[in-house]
Amino acid sequence: MDCTLIQGHLIGYHFATLADDERAAVEEHLVACGECLRTYLALKSFVDRGSPAEPGPSEAARLRLRAAVEARFRPTPARRVTRWLRRPVPLYQGLAVAALVAVAAVLAPAVAHIVLHDDARSTERVDSARPVAESLTIY
Amino acid sequence: MESDEALYARVKRGEMRAFDELYARHAARLFGFLRAQLPSPADAEDVMHEAIMATLESKEVEFDRGSFRTWLYRIARNRVLNRARSMGRGKGALVKMSVEPERPPGADERIAREELLVALESAVRRLPESLSDLYHLRSSGLSYEEMADVIGIPLGTIKSRMNQLVELLRKELLPWTAR
Repeated sequence: MDCTLIQGHLIGYHFATLADDERAAVEEHLVACGECLRTYLALKSFVDRGSPAEPGPSEAARLRLRAAVEARFRPTPARRVTRWLRRPVPLYQGLAVAALVAVAAVLAPAVAHIVLHDDARSTERVDSARPVAESLTIY
Repeated sequence: MESDEALYARVKRGEMRAFDELYARHAARLFGFLRAQLPSPADAEDVMHEAIMATLESKEVEFDRGSFRTWLYRIARNRVLNRARSMGRGKGALVKMSVEPERPPGADERIAREELLVALESAVRRLPESLSDLYHLRSSGLSYEEMADVIGIPLGTIKSRMNQLVELLRKELLPWTAR
């Protein structure tokens, strides 16, 4: 293919609309022809950026958008609490907490009994003057 | 590399580093897509701001019905159409017509290439709306499948229109390529 034909195909090549044999012919030509390759790269750059001289969005626009996003989605105390309550809990943590609760529920009555019983015993008075086991005196 | 969708979720939790990454990936191309269809850089920046905020705030965005990129371009495209409707004109009229370039009289390679680009820019501005849409989405890097998703037409129709688009541009550029 000569340069005229190739340059007519460059847009189709970039947008991938060429048939396989046409695409192969363009690629083969671009490898060998510097002028067509430079033309293709300029076209590609233009198409991908929208215009040869068009810069991107300004820094002011980026900062304004960033500030808006931050204000809209910044975690508030209420959102933090909600998020913490809704967080997914790993299975092992859930099982560990459940086991602790179960053990506490089982032991609580026994602990309470021990505590209360100890309290009662501590209030008893041993009367050392009283004869021991009078009822056992055998006559 | 973290996916766009994962970054999107992090932005919605207030993680601004995720926003910075998402912006770096998409802002330039999105701006180019909008700038090519709107009268000024300020208009493109305004619509870009609206489109990104709308994509983040929308309750309709679900990634089983499209990627983050298709949602972003779908919303941005709708914003451009809304702006054209509110101005009471077709979308094509939003863009200022450029001056028809003259054929270069035997210019050297660099000048000829610049003239070719000017001719391409002019040809793009004259595209009918159905093909202009495709041109801007394709040049923003969207695949044919994504374009079908954004516009809401079958993939076969996209391919057929792309062939029409390329053929139209090829004919428009013939005076600058046949030397």
